Amino acid sequence: MLPLSIKDDEYKPAKFNLFVKLSGWFRSILADKTSRNLFFFLCLNLSFAFVELLYGIWSNSLGLISDSFHMFFDCTALLAGLAASVISRWRSNDSFSYGYVRAEVLAGFVNGLFLIFTAFFIFSEGVERALEPPDVHHERLLPVSIAGLLVNLVGIFVFQHGGHGHSHGGEGHGHSHSLFNGSVGHGHSHGGHGHSHESKHGHDHGHSHGDHGHSHGGHGHSHDDPHCHDDHLHTPGKGSSKQILQGVFLHIVADTLGSVGVIISAILMQKYDLMIADPICSMLIALLIGVSVVPLLRESIGILMQRTPPSLDHALPECYQRVQQLQGVYNLQEPHFWTLCTDVYIGTLKLLVAPDADSRWILSQTHNIFTQVGVRQLYVQIDVAAM
Amino acid sequence: MACAPNRVRLLCMLSLTFGFFIVEVAVSRLTSSLAMLSDSFHMLSDVIALVVALVAVRFAEQTQSTNKNTFGWIRAEVMGALVNAVFLTALCFTIILEAIERFTEPHEIDRPDVVIGVGIGGLLVNLVGLCLFHGHAGGGGHGHSHGGHGHSHGGHKKHKNGKVRRCETLEDSRSAGEETNNLVGNQNNSPNGVNPDRRRAEMSHSDSLDLQINGSAPYEELENGHDAASQLNMRGVFLHVLGDALGSVIVVINASIFRAVWWPCKPGEICENPCVDQHCSDHSLNISSAVTNSTFKAGPCWVLYLDPTLCIIMVCILLYTTYPLLKESALILLQTVPKQIDMHQLNTRLRDLEGVLAVHELHIWQLAGSRIIATAHIKCHDPTSYMDVAKRIKDFFHDEGIHATTIQPEFVTVNSDSRASLCELSCRTQCAPKLCCGAVDSAKPPDGAVDAKKLCEAKTPTVTSTSATSLEIISESVEETSRPESVVIITREVESSL
Repeated sequence: MLPLSIKDDEYKPAKFNLFVKLSGWFRSILADKTSRNLFFFLCLNLSFAFVELLYGIWSNSLGLISDSFHMFFDCTALLAGLAASVISRWRSNDSFSYGYVRAEVLAGFVNGLFLIFTAFFIFSEGVERALEPPDVHHERLLPVSIAGLLVNLVGIFVFQHGGHGHSHGGEGHGHSHSLFNGSVGHGHSHGGHGHSHESKHGHDHGHSHGDHGHSHGGHGHSHDDPHCHDDHLHTPGKGSSKQILQGVFLHIVADTLGSVGVIISAILMQKYDLMIADPICSMLIALLIGVSVVPLLRESIGILMQRTPPSLDHALPECYQRVQQLQGVYNLQEPHFWTLCTDVYIGTLKLLVAPDADSRWILSQTHNIFTQVGVRQLYVQIDVAAM
Repeated sequence: MACAPNRVRLLCMLSLTFGFFIVEVAVSRLTSSLAMLSDSFHMLSDVIALVVALVAVRFAEQTQSTNKNTFGWIRAEVMGALVNAVFLTALCFTIILEAIERFTEPHEIDRPDVVIGVGIGGLLVNLVGLCLFHGHAGGGGHGHSHGGHGHSHGGHKKHKNGKVRRCETLEDSRSAGEETNNLVGNQNNSPNGVNPDRRRAEMSHSDSLDLQINGSAPYEELENGHDAASQLNMRGVFLHVLGDALGSVIVVINASIFRAVWWPCKPGEICENPCVDQHCSDHSLNISSAVTNSTFKAGPCWVLYLDPTLCIIMVCILLYTTYPLLKESALILLQTVPKQIDMHQLNTRLRDLEGVLAVHELHIWQLAGSRIIATAHIKCHDPTSYMDVAKRIKDFFHDEGIHATTIQPEFVTVNSDSRASLCELSCRTQCAPKLCCGAVDSAKPPDGAVDAKKLCEAKTPTVTSTSATSLEIISESVEETSRPESVVIITREVESSL
């Protein structure tokens, strides 16, 4: 298990009090804007899901029930983002010498994976429905879809900066829930978790799985601080909440798309009796979700694979040149530069120097050179060449 | 050679599974069974898991460093394992949701014979898969069971843990020897550490697989490292296949019991199906109680609830075994200190080395498997004594099993006001918020400062010095010369495929 210690500003006595721990987490959540937004949106989504579940049970609509499950699944994605934003602010300890800041990258990556999974299952359900269109009951679906769309729009508005990696602040990941759920039957994009709803019994009871039109916008988390460098002596997590916010935003956008798709297909079905509209909408939405997730995944994978930071790709060879021009330096070997989290770069390299070189000066010059490009944690090993 | 057999196995399993997927789709079209179709999609997700693992293995073979990926692609295995574990978890959620829906609206299996047939076919396929991958399984391997909609695949094969696994990994590691041998030189070992590694490796070939601190067999550890990383990946695949197997078993059991116990409503007879809701029009008729004596009732209702129950049990098993894999790969990606290394103790022992005044910013993390990388700032007296200290430090890390180290020296100056524990080359104040870790000093014993003070009085460095007893930030003079030198950076340019 990840260690649960939070050594925050206040010192807490070491008694294991669950309430104390929870309140500590709660306070930590409310302290940061990102996690605050995530938390409130999570609450909103959860309540909406509960309402939908109760309504579905009361009206005995399996579609609504399954859609509410989708929303719950979506909430887990939000929860993952929230947990990551809290965890990444914990201090480093013996087991985590770099701290927990990478949790955000991991959360963004996992959310991206969930979104891909979701898209895959929406697609497969769309195919199933195209082959065997079940009867669709769309009377109850439309109002629920519209309500869900509204919830998602709220989310988009709140988290609006995410999704494209250009965060201009504002984490607005409205988690849009696919409002499709409900009666539309097919209109449902499993925004969430690739939850292909059992269209299996669709053909039996003619019940629309539309409820799953639940697209998980995912975490397009908007980079709240594009300038994590400027201000805030804010905890380092601030700048690096980009991944989480991007993931959440994408989830929400996917949900919104799902809702919109359900509404469109419901209208098409009602007006023109085009039963094929539902699965086609589902498939299109699945494709859209898949495509939108790719940038997030590329970035996360790059960071997790210890890739050289893309923003330094051009600057680094220049730095190598400059270092090798220092007096006493014969050679620069084995440079490794990687991203710990957003905007935090770490590098190591080895220098082969002359025996009479001034190591101290070389060291400080090298550090200066790399600090100018933004690498602030640098480890330079000095190997003195044999005469 | 461990990688090649892995790839071969994966390709075999991939072709088998894909073939079975095609078969299932065909059968579903022929029998117009939607359950079979959805099951085939589960099979497709299996195929995707195998593809992910295959891609990871392919990438991880390129352990040479490239321009963009200076550490090589060895981490791809860990990523593959994580992707598979997350995929499995998502599938489990899906299955739970389907099972719950089944609880609320059960329905009978349309053609139990076909289902049994397909189930047994899938079971055989997964049995083969389990045979192929069982040696690599770390944990129990729970493959995922599909919602069990008449889709059975995977064999439920008991695999012997422990001994067999050990033997397999020994063989694998021996064969992995040649491959990793070539790659050792490209890792960021110290220049003088490579050859002794190779020699020692060949000698202590069949040492224990223990990844513990064992300096005498670094090569062995490298082999194990590579193998351990691929083990993680294979474990993910194994879990997938085993889940499939469980699913197949459940499907076969369910269909058999159904066939044996269930009394279906025969078409043409007046029959009432009490288990299914009234809105199911083909089976149930609204027969009044007046004709209860002459109506048939469809078979025992509990049979219909067997399927979701078994599914939920299977999901629990699956989640239980997937969780360790998920945790392990996630922790590696979070740059944790590897489990076998005690940071505190290492720090203490490092500081106890002769010539070492202080240790800052010690970071140890695992690249993949047992490739562990360490970086640190070591404070010592002066450049002349540094090379000896460096050798000792390198040997120390080799003994700990860490072969890729970068040690930055820091030299004390006499007239400085900061304590020995402060980093000489720390970022100036404006970077403090951008440093990743809060606590910079990992070693600040009061005795370090005392040592420094004593030694300060004993030696005087070359820079301007007085007999001050405190240390300060180094100030250097700038000398500018030009050095024409070839850039020795990367050996190969490989574009990242991402």
